[in-house]
Amino acid sequence: MKNNLNNSANVTGRRYWRSLDELADQPEFKDWLHREFPVGASELVEDGQSRRNFLKIMSASFAFAGIATLGAGCRRPEEKLEPFGRQPENYTFGDAQYFATAMPTRTGAIPLVVKSYEGRPVKIEGNALFPGSNGSTDRYAQASILDLYDPDRARHFKHDGKVVSREEALGFLDELSKKFAANSGEGLAFLAESSTSPSRARLQKIIADKFLKSKWFTCDAIDSGIHQRAATQAFGQPVKPIFNFDKAKVILSLDCDFLGGEDDAHNHIRKFAASRKAGDGMSRLYAVESLFTLTGASADHRLRIPASKVWEVANAINSMLRQLHETANPLGQSAQYNIEGVDSKWVSECAKDLVANAGRVLVVAGQRQPLEVHLLAHTINSSLDSIGSTVELFQTNTVATSDLKSFDLDAIETLVVLGGNPVYHLNATAKPKTVVRLGYYEDETAQKCDWNFPAAHYLESWGDATTSDGTVVGIQPLIQPLFGGLLELEFLARVAGETQNSAYEIVRATFGGSEEDWKRFLFNGFLNGSAGKSETLSFQAAVPAVQSATTSESNLEVVFFRDSKVDDGRYANNGWMQELPDPVTKMTWDNAVLISRKTARELGVANGDIVEISLSGKSVKGPIWTQPGMADYSLGLALGYGRERAGRVGTGVGFNAYKIFSGKYIETGATIKKTGETHVLACTQHHWSMEGRPAVREANLEEFIKEPTFAQEKFHGVEPPVVKSLYANPLDEAKKTALHQWGMTVDLNACVGCGTCVVACQSENNIPIVGKDQVLRGREMHWMRIDRYFTSDPKRKHNPNRFDLSADMNQTDENQQFAEWIDDVQAVNQPMLCQQCESAPCESVCPVAATVHDQEGLNVMAYNRCIGTRYCSNNCPYKVRRFNFLDYNKRPLNELKGTIYSTTLTHKTDGVWDLKRWWNDPNSGMRSEDEWDLIKLSKNPDVTVRMRGVMEKCTYCTQRIEHAKISQKVKAGASDNVRLSEAAGTIPKTACQQACPAGAIVFGDVSDANSSVSKLKLSPLNYSVLGNLLTKPRTTYLARVRNPNPAMPDYHEPFSTEEFESQSLTPKGNS
Amino acid sequence: MIFPKWTNSLPLVLLVVAALAGGGVAAGVTIYLTPKYTRAGYQPVQPVPFSHKIHAGQMGLDCRYCHNGVEKSWFSNLPGASTCMNCHNQVLKDDPRLAIVRDSAANNTPIPWVQVHIVPDYVYFNHSVHVARGFSCLECHGRVDQMDEVRHAKSLSMSFCLNCHRDPAAAIRPPDKVTKLDWQWSTNAAEAEHLQDVNGKKFVHDWKVESLQSCSACHR
Repeated sequence: MKNNLNNSANVTGRRYWRSLDELADQPEFKDWLHREFPVGASELVEDGQSRRNFLKIMSASFAFAGIATLGAGCRRPEEKLEPFGRQPENYTFGDAQYFATAMPTRTGAIPLVVKSYEGRPVKIEGNALFPGSNGSTDRYAQASILDLYDPDRARHFKHDGKVVSREEALGFLDELSKKFAANSGEGLAFLAESSTSPSRARLQKIIADKFLKSKWFTCDAIDSGIHQRAATQAFGQPVKPIFNFDKAKVILSLDCDFLGGEDDAHNHIRKFAASRKAGDGMSRLYAVESLFTLTGASADHRLRIPASKVWEVANAINSMLRQLHETANPLGQSAQYNIEGVDSKWVSECAKDLVANAGRVLVVAGQRQPLEVHLLAHTINSSLDSIGSTVELFQTNTVATSDLKSFDLDAIETLVVLGGNPVYHLNATAKPKTVVRLGYYEDETAQKCDWNFPAAHYLESWGDATTSDGTVVGIQPLIQPLFGGLLELEFLARVAGETQNSAYEIVRATFGGSEEDWKRFLFNGFLNGSAGKSETLSFQAAVPAVQSATTSESNLEVVFFRDSKVDDGRYANNGWMQELPDPVTKMTWDNAVLISRKTARELGVANGDIVEISLSGKSVKGPIWTQPGMADYSLGLALGYGRERAGRVGTGVGFNAYKIFSGKYIETGATIKKTGETHVLACTQHHWSMEGRPAVREANLEEFIKEPTFAQEKFHGVEPPVVKSLYANPLDEAKKTALHQWGMTVDLNACVGCGTCVVACQSENNIPIVGKDQVLRGREMHWMRIDRYFTSDPKRKHNPNRFDLSADMNQTDENQQFAEWIDDVQAVNQPMLCQQCESAPCESVCPVAATVHDQEGLNVMAYNRCIGTRYCSNNCPYKVRRFNFLDYNKRPLNELKGTIYSTTLTHKTDGVWDLKRWWNDPNSGMRSEDEWDLIKLSKNPDVTVRMRGVMEKCTYCTQRIEHAKISQKVKAGASDNVRLSEAAGTIPKTACQQACPAGAIVFGDVSDANSSVSKLKLSPLNYSVLGNLLTKPRTTYLARVRNPNPAMPDYHEPFSTEEFESQSLTPKGNS
Repeated sequence: MIFPKWTNSLPLVLLVVAALAGGGVAAGVTIYLTPKYTRAGYQPVQPVPFSHKIHAGQMGLDCRYCHNGVEKSWFSNLPGASTCMNCHNQVLKDDPRLAIVRDSAANNTPIPWVQVHIVPDYVYFNHSVHVARGFSCLECHGRVDQMDEVRHAKSLSMSFCLNCHRDPAAAIRPPDKVTKLDWQWSTNAAEAEHLQDVNGKKFVHDWKVESLQSCSACHR
């Protein structure tokens, strides 16, 4: 952390965020928008002098290369084919195999199907067979496969920092077991992350019975167990709530980011999207929150309020409900609940809406909110007959654990740490006498442990888990542990002194059942019918009150939240996650102190200023980021960054908010102080506003019912001009004979912007990561991005009293943070990927025909033809093409920054001159030996790995299309049954479509009138982005419909529509 | 005079020499650096003196007995040594030439065969679809049943692929005949050509065989 901040002070390059005074004289800030590429994206190095040096060095290396080629001769190198000695049955080389498994999470598991080539897993997908599932996952599951191939994983058994043999380490465990068996576990304690594994629970029980005096503590950096604890207290039985958003008509979120930061979010998104179909039955979402979350972005009404005041709002609504129930005339009660900063009408109208929809109401409290708020939520749910319909209560049986409060270092002789990284998130300094740890990384915790056992990845393990609804799922290994890691169950069995200590046998024994059942369980990946039973219980708890302090600039509230990328820090060394733009801030490779515009202004801080936050005697430093829609006097701190020993990717990224975290997610009493230092933040979307352009089209439900075609061109004054083309489009001819025509729709009404598709695309298409420095230069490689726009009341944009006095509505990227309109915003998300234009602007400018159309309407990219002129990217109106400025696969991250990039002549890897390494193996680049092997293992063999100087982009997953077509043709043989069809289930799914929890992306054959995509394209909501350019995109969007309550005080047309109308020359309907 | 008179013709001489030299280099590159020269004819020595001529030619083993993945996968696999031992645990049981094979089958150690036919990594050639749709092994690999040591018979260059992709009717045959390398429509050459033409067009039409020439057919 310290190191990182010191570095930022030394940054000599362009600083992105400065004060307004400096901005005034800097016209280049205004240039940003008008450039095709961000500043620096097209520059090789930062100053002219080093560019010249670079050319000198390059010409020398070309000379070397020439000599080398002559020496090596023209024949290609001899390659060996090594077949099996004994051919295994049912295995065909080159044919992908799929295995059902599951990824355990804190409170559940995600059932998965993993694709494997030649014994190595390459892609994770959700298990569509699982009851109720649409085969989707969350972004963490998509990215978790990269952890398997992480070169920084713990690889060795270690004792006191020295490598010991596996036998020796296992011998120690046996001794440990014997020793504590003798004294019934006196002084033995376990510190484990929560788990839903029945096998682990069984072993835990065996341990508790055998070592009677031992203690078992469950400790998670981020606690998701509050839903279960609250329900248990509220209903007097050990139950866990399942929220059925699909059955709800009115949803009230009390600071609950159920679409983003909560566990099981992908299931919530699926159910929520099901309730948001534009039409009569559409649900309505009220959100009360302090941070701007994905849930807030999807809400129809959003109340911006400090998180510590959510209880007051909940209490006011609850009291209002009681009055509405009790009094015959509910009107006139509304003014009683005065909460500072809250329109009392908001509360009363919300309460009325809840009552009006009793039985179809769902109130959810966020996991960062205290128990009292959860109890209030359950009270409301109970009083409105939601229990059993929108809230289902499932019995759970948890194994008893010791209370963390009784954790006493002095009483513990040997502490066994299972997973997690407690030293990091608890800021632990003292340690018991002996600490034995099973961990995936040699991280902060490993450094303090006496014995370290490398853990196996879940893709390497036998295991089991239960999903949130209680269904038992199996975890089966896709590959042997790459570095001989130990499975959690084996580790525990050893400690327990069990003779049966192979994980397979443990899981098999837990499962019981016949061999047939077991095989079916492994094949399906889950045990059918094992889901919990819904209980009908009544609310029976007292609801304690919460006193909330009034926040101000000298008494700030701090909200700690689970990061949408690194989780609690466990994915800190996962490059895909670090580079994934945060769904709300669009920030990569950093966390920041999220703050509202007003608070920032009062405290005199701006984006990038490093501030010191003090909270109950502890402090931490981090850069400021103004977040539109944030509650005033509230600071948002993402946990999981500032790792000191994460690995090559994650060490030193961001700042460690755990330093001031004491287990309470919401705390008041913080102050901040400007340090005078600044920090550069790498954000992938600098411009927040749509500037009134109709890229995203929205309407309220009433307007949609009145005018279903509101999204069409005629309402947007941007109808394409009627022109006759000089040349015929060759695609029109090809369409006549081609078997299919591919197309896609993206439903903006379903999309919540979670980013799962972006990671899935990265995983499927071998997309490299480029590092923070390259992202700052605008060189991120994601084929798919999610554009997130903030829209606001245009009247506020014109407000003459705002901080920026210019009358111009356009905000430059740097000073939009000071504009008053960002206080109360709506957000829209738009996944943006290659639109596969039928009349593609990129194709007509390619000098070498490297990008051309195929007969099925794909805008294909032949990497081997590309010479890297980047004309195509210049000419692309959607900016979806990505250029490999450097060899991102061959260069490690630390070689992707600085002012001059090292070459094979100037660089050494593993102590050997790179030119020599190149001579021995021209492929390895600057990657160390160990890294290189793992990178090769992690790649999808169906997709070319692109090199430097090549343009790339979304291909609609052409490899999947080709695979499906080939499979069909093989099946057809000497017949004409070669066409893929949705009816036969042979149409492939693109990676993004497959992963999308909301089912927002639909891909298919638009020449088949019965395909879903064809039907969706007939919807009145269907429109093309920038269709007026006559690009004829094959990817079209379904406009978004919001469902606000007309009685609410903040009812208005969607801001994007208002912005468009206020800027449009041809007002709505008058074209 | 500074320059003697012969220098007047120097530019012309230089031009001619340059043209000749340039033409020579161009011709050399065209002939010697194309796959037709660099790859066709490649015939490495294999670790086991396995003869396709004996096995596939004289004894008439079907290609798919050993290369059994060809109908299922993009890759036509080499057989495991256990496949060889199906016969060779009876035939030539103690032959010293088969020592490596016996060793491989016994210890599950691979035999390091030298790869003969290979396309670049950016070409996604798929065996199964070609075989299933009636394109014979012969088209790319030549008369392997007449080779003792396998030889790279065709160039396998992009133009080679495209020749067939432009006119699949010229090569298509009934799918059950793809591994019969000596099969012909007729023993009479003229009649065979005629039948290929007629039936080829019929098959391409009836089976909806596409003439795929866009990049996405092979490059992903």
